[in-house]
Amino acid sequence: MRDALDKNPGFDPRSGGTSAPSTTGAPPATSRTIEGEFSCVGKPLPRPDVAAKATGAAVYGADLVLPGMLTGRILTSPYAHAKILSIDTSKAKALAGVAAVITHEDVPKLRFTRSVMAEGLPPFAYEGENQDQFILSDKARYVGDWIAAVAAVDTYTAEKALDLIEVEYEQLPAVFDPEEALKPGSPIIHEGWPGNVAGVIDHPFSRGDLDKALADSDYVVEFRGRNSRQKQAHLEPDVAVARWEPDGRLTVWSPNQNAHLAKKTMAQRILGINEGDIRWITTTVGGGFGARLSFGVEPVAVLLAKITGKPVKVFVTREEDFSGWSSRTEQRQTIRMGVTKGGTITAIEQRILSDAGAYFSHSGTISAVNMQATLGVMRSPVVSGKATIVYTNNPTSSGMRGYGNPEGSFVLQQAIDMAAEKCGMDPLEFRLKNAKGTGEPSMWEPVTLTSCALETCIRLGAERIGWKEKWHGWGASTGAAGPSPGGRYRRGVGMSIMTHASGAGGFLLEHSSAIIKLDEDGSVQLAVSPCEMGQGILGALSQIAAEGMGLRYEDVHVITGDTDVTLFDIGSHASRSTYAIGNAVLDAARQVRATVLERAAGILETSPRALDIRGGSVFVKADPTQTVAVAEIARGAIYDYGLEGRHITATGKHQALTHCPNFQAGFSEIEVDTETGVIKVLKYVVAHDIGRAINPLTVESCLQGGAYQGLGYALTEDLIIDEHTGKVLTDSFATYKMLSALDMPEVEVILVEEPDPSGPYGAKGVGETGITNVAPSIANALYDACRIRIHSLPMTPEKVLAALAAAPQSPDYNGG
Amino acid sequence: MTKQIAAFTVNGAEREAIIEPHMLLIDVLRDQFALTGTKYACGTGDCGACTVLLDGKPSLSCLILAVTAIGKSILTIEGLAEGPELHPLQQSFVDEGAIQCGFCTPGMILSAKSLLDENPDPSLDEIRHALAGNLCRCTGYVAIFNAVQAAAAAMKTDSTGTEARP
Repeated sequence: MRDALDKNPGFDPRSGGTSAPSTTGAPPATSRTIEGEFSCVGKPLPRPDVAAKATGAAVYGADLVLPGMLTGRILTSPYAHAKILSIDTSKAKALAGVAAVITHEDVPKLRFTRSVMAEGLPPFAYEGENQDQFILSDKARYVGDWIAAVAAVDTYTAEKALDLIEVEYEQLPAVFDPEEALKPGSPIIHEGWPGNVAGVIDHPFSRGDLDKALADSDYVVEFRGRNSRQKQAHLEPDVAVARWEPDGRLTVWSPNQNAHLAKKTMAQRILGINEGDIRWITTTVGGGFGARLSFGVEPVAVLLAKITGKPVKVFVTREEDFSGWSSRTEQRQTIRMGVTKGGTITAIEQRILSDAGAYFSHSGTISAVNMQATLGVMRSPVVSGKATIVYTNNPTSSGMRGYGNPEGSFVLQQAIDMAAEKCGMDPLEFRLKNAKGTGEPSMWEPVTLTSCALETCIRLGAERIGWKEKWHGWGASTGAAGPSPGGRYRRGVGMSIMTHASGAGGFLLEHSSAIIKLDEDGSVQLAVSPCEMGQGILGALSQIAAEGMGLRYEDVHVITGDTDVTLFDIGSHASRSTYAIGNAVLDAARQVRATVLERAAGILETSPRALDIRGGSVFVKADPTQTVAVAEIARGAIYDYGLEGRHITATGKHQALTHCPNFQAGFSEIEVDTETGVIKVLKYVVAHDIGRAINPLTVESCLQGGAYQGLGYALTEDLIIDEHTGKVLTDSFATYKMLSALDMPEVEVILVEEPDPSGPYGAKGVGETGITNVAPSIANALYDACRIRIHSLPMTPEKVLAALAAAPQSPDYNGG
Repeated sequence: MTKQIAAFTVNGAEREAIIEPHMLLIDVLRDQFALTGTKYACGTGDCGACTVLLDGKPSLSCLILAVTAIGKSILTIEGLAEGPELHPLQQSFVDEGAIQCGFCTPGMILSAKSLLDENPDPSLDEIRHALAGNLCRCTGYVAIFNAVQAAAAAMKTDSTGTEARP
């Protein structure tokens, strides 16, 4: 395979081709591999959810109005660490229009974690996320911690009531730096966790004698790095509506990414009731990016609705969202890597200090995924990974797109370049030499890779960025010139590679189901429970369903987001929905198809094997003029005046201990202004191992969006917290800098389609991945341009200037 | 506080609302007229999700007091399509994959409409500038630029009866 690729880069005999690259402003990529082969899969079909979004008809949580509904608002702590001595709610309760005021005294005394995913963790993998909080806190642990809540007739009254709540605090010493938090004498944030050590996680695939392997290596490189607290910053502020029904059941409407596990967490961890007593409805979701794998305001809405006996809608403002309970976890990491002179990795060590913030949330799984993904992309005989998770008085962290991978890759991918430099090797060749491939253990090592298009991704990406012409080399050692001499503006190119799971089989419950029912007109209803948060999953699943049954795309109607209707699913995260739920849908579709063919065989007086279905019509393969419409069969199955009637339905499932990892290469070309320190990205190229693009338009859009968030993560986005007060200073879109339409550089997306045998039509995941390679490829390009490395994100002009001023220039460097 | 009955022209129709001096236009549109396509996302005029057209000009309804819009013509996303047919901008946003979560979409489409009303054939740079006040967290903007260009071409074809784009 490698030889074949060497001779003919850009062509992959395993797939029959790759999709045409597309660039900013150009028409979207279309897949060449499936023309004529499929009727729905591989087509850039419009998604079923978007027309309602284009007309304003889509109903998001804030748009929901129920009869008699009250508004709920939350009082947050102004202090980072404080005892609550007393709360006087009498004035607030006396205000006309106030229905309820609640404090920690009114909440269930069950500790829970906001991470609803924790309910899906298998007992053998980890101990789970710490159950360390109440709905309203009895002690303030960060600025923004929830202290009390109000339900009133309208927002104005509710907010007035918040002002009337009198809380007496006793401020406590606070700690905001995770290294400080570990020192003896530091303020203790949770009594159950001495020394503020929230958890220690060993990488399950650590092996070998690290010290010996490093000592025996020809070179050892070490790189320390720290990522920023990137905000998910979904445009829809958090919101939830709850109503207790007359029959005693509870209905919750919210944009949670994980309806079934949210239901379970609410029932078991918060209310102490049966799961069947809750109906969870997912509203239209205005962006998720991992934030909504946790509870937002749902528990408060549920409690206020319970106490008032009325439906209650709770929402937060943008400022509260920024100051709240969810951002990317700040992780301080060290990578040490041993290599031979010939450029073979002998050992990799990863150490993580992870700042959970005030509560644990997803901290355990994020650290675990970080190590699996970061350590899982390269082959190494000796591996060692360990994460220490610390409580501080910072806002709580949570899942954010990439889920540990962008954190770890920023550090590892720079260490890889440093190792390649030691060996005098092109970092591209170094990666090709050491990266895993088909047949080798995946990031979750018991799983063997059944496909891996990483080499193709690297070759194609390199070609599109112009790697051979533009990479400066390491200087004299590689015979190349080094950076262009002097000058204010210096250009460079850099690369990064990654692997990510398509699902969570192995380390999380991996179980999805789908229901299909065939209606009398030959259309189907597909009931599934992913979270359509913008990624286009309803369209992709409809395409898989239509293809699997031989129906037209427009014949498939999706029902989603209601746990009373859909079967169990573990939600939308881990790039899993197309792969895992897609497999469940395909299973159901094939059963429906088999039933239709069986009934059609009776009508056409042949065997089911002699038949096929296309465009809603069953036909005899040997004589396509003999047909019967699927609608006729569906109608006959219902309007049967004898005893053979049975509405055609099927239930499909996907369950796996594997997760079909996908791979990706990213390349950046940048220009650095050495007078201002500004990094300008000239072009970013991402080549993704998608297996099969069920909808190439959606996949491309997903990768463009991932690159956008990756650029922000690399260059501008950071939650800045006042080191004295613990208050979030970047609590608006004016101060938290996301890229605007003016800032977006050219991004080229390449979809590499080498179908995986386990995916629906060969598809693998993509959702988490687009963000990961951006920052490390820019960091490596910065070294190519200026011979400096930045150790923390974002790579701001101030840091670039400081690094330029401080760097002892390498002997190879001939710039000014 | 003084309440008053105020008249607005909303999506071509005369509408009345009971308003108070402190009320924001976004709240009147959403709470009194049930036009929930106008989105609240920041409340500080930084993101553009609440954009409506006031007498044809893109305006941030989360910053505008409702009293100042009395007597003006307000276009919200609900007023863009004529009957069941999508407006060319809505159609191109659907077709080009320019919509992911959709929360920025109403404001984005209305800013784009204002641009195309004034400049039927904008360059990419002009599109970027016109949409610079509308944040999108999902798409990376590229598909949105494509959609505006596609809509411009389609609207040109409609008005001239000739194919404007090969």
